Amino acid sequence: MKKLLIFYFLYGSLFGAEYSIIISKKITLSEITSQQIRDLFLMKRHAIGNQKIIPLNLLGQDPSRITFENEILKMDRDRLNTYWVKQHFQGLTPPITQPSHESIKAFVQNVEGAIGYIPSSMVDSSVKVIYEF
Amino acid sequence: MQFRFLSLYLIVLTSPLYATPYEFGHGFNLHDSLTAGGYVSTEFESNQQADTFTIDDVAVMAYGNIGSNVSYLAELEAVGFYHKHLTNGNEGGSQKFHIERLYMDIWMSDTFNFRVGKQITPIGYWNLEPINVLRDTTSNPLYSSLLFPKFLTGIDMNGYLPQSSTTRYHLFGQATHDMDEEYINIPNTHFYGLSLEHELSMETSFGGSIGEFIALNSDEKTRFLQGNVKYDNGSLLLSAEAITAQTDYQHAKSDLTLSGYLQSVYHFSNEHAIVGRYEYYDDQHRDYKDHIGIFGYSYRPIYPVSIKGEYQWHSQENENRTLLSFSVLF
Repeated sequence: MKKLLIFYFLYGSLFGAEYSIIISKKITLSEITSQQIRDLFLMKRHAIGNQKIIPLNLLGQDPSRITFENEILKMDRDRLNTYWVKQHFQGLTPPITQPSHESIKAFVQNVEGAIGYIPSSMVDSSVKVIYEF
Repeated sequence: MQFRFLSLYLIVLTSPLYATPYEFGHGFNLHDSLTAGGYVSTEFESNQQADTFTIDDVAVMAYGNIGSNVSYLAELEAVGFYHKHLTNGNEGGSQKFHIERLYMDIWMSDTFNFRVGKQITPIGYWNLEPINVLRDTTSNPLYSSLLFPKFLTGIDMNGYLPQSSTTRYHLFGQATHDMDEEYINIPNTHFYGLSLEHELSMETSFGGSIGEFIALNSDEKTRFLQGNVKYDNGSLLLSAEAITAQTDYQHAKSDLTLSGYLQSVYHFSNEHAIVGRYEYYDDQHRDYKDHIGIFGYSYRPIYPVSIKGEYQWHSQENENRTLLSFSVLF
């Protein structure tokens, strides 16, 4: 696991690979902080200003999800699992998942307030970038 | 009603049509409006009087969203499900389920929400994670069960303070009898309070609460002031909570009760941890004071399965004991 993370870190550093947090172009929100993203994906918050937000996670162990969890949530998979087991007792479930970056992008385009992370290379004029990592 | 709930629960659990793959400890997510789960704990205690085995908690729960701004949670629990006195062979228990929690959350904004119904009182850390499987020790500190009502049947207005991203508040009140008083530690018809919790960093947080309640049985009013602080870097978890409570007794002068604990948990791997806790309890009205030291070990093959052992030293004679437990959240 550690080797995999080191590989992705080095790959990202050398080749400039990065990810973007995207939202529908219809939303007036133009930027967001990493703290706000973290709170939204941990279900501590449900809105930015008056805009209700629906966070989207990628299913499985994709490198983008691992990078997102380590860089934005700042939690490894074991700690996240502990967190969500505790939240299960409190009646909270994790963000909904999508099977691919394409489906995250399509979801964001069609559902007002949905946010998700995709490779920056996939960003086009159909969505708005509010954070990059 | 409880039979119907349990029947429905069994039907949904045995349904092959799970909405998402089951992950242990995360509940059966059948639909956005229904996630089902539960927990079980067993406990062995050896003290100077007897050895006992107890299936202590058997609970089922269901929760979900009703629309985009309303959610619910329902939990039924049987405490003391089975009990065997290993020294004299007596056994017993109660298989009757009672309403542990039943509430609705109404989300207005991140600064303004309502929780209505029977719920865990939002005070400190320990009280919010009261079940065996989520704790690092089998025992609870005296702080957590004797000095304020653990449950609230009423309204809790909560959220982040306006313009704050790190401070949460709870303003709560109860002005009626408790819903299903069976497992209520302090039955009451009057309970009000305010809690604040501030996150200094991802690792560190602190908070405090004030409140008052009138115990139903004695009609005595108690006011309390509570504080809590926690540091958690993933491998080391330090937490401390303390409370002072002043009770106006019917036939005696007002008196204070002081209590608190300091606990350290060191995880030397994901599965293994050692725990040390110091507790203090001083009830000046009853002239009862105890210092308690606890050393324990926790093994979690996976997080929702907990096997724990601990030994307690008490300054009061004949209170020392050994506790072992096995608990599961599903």
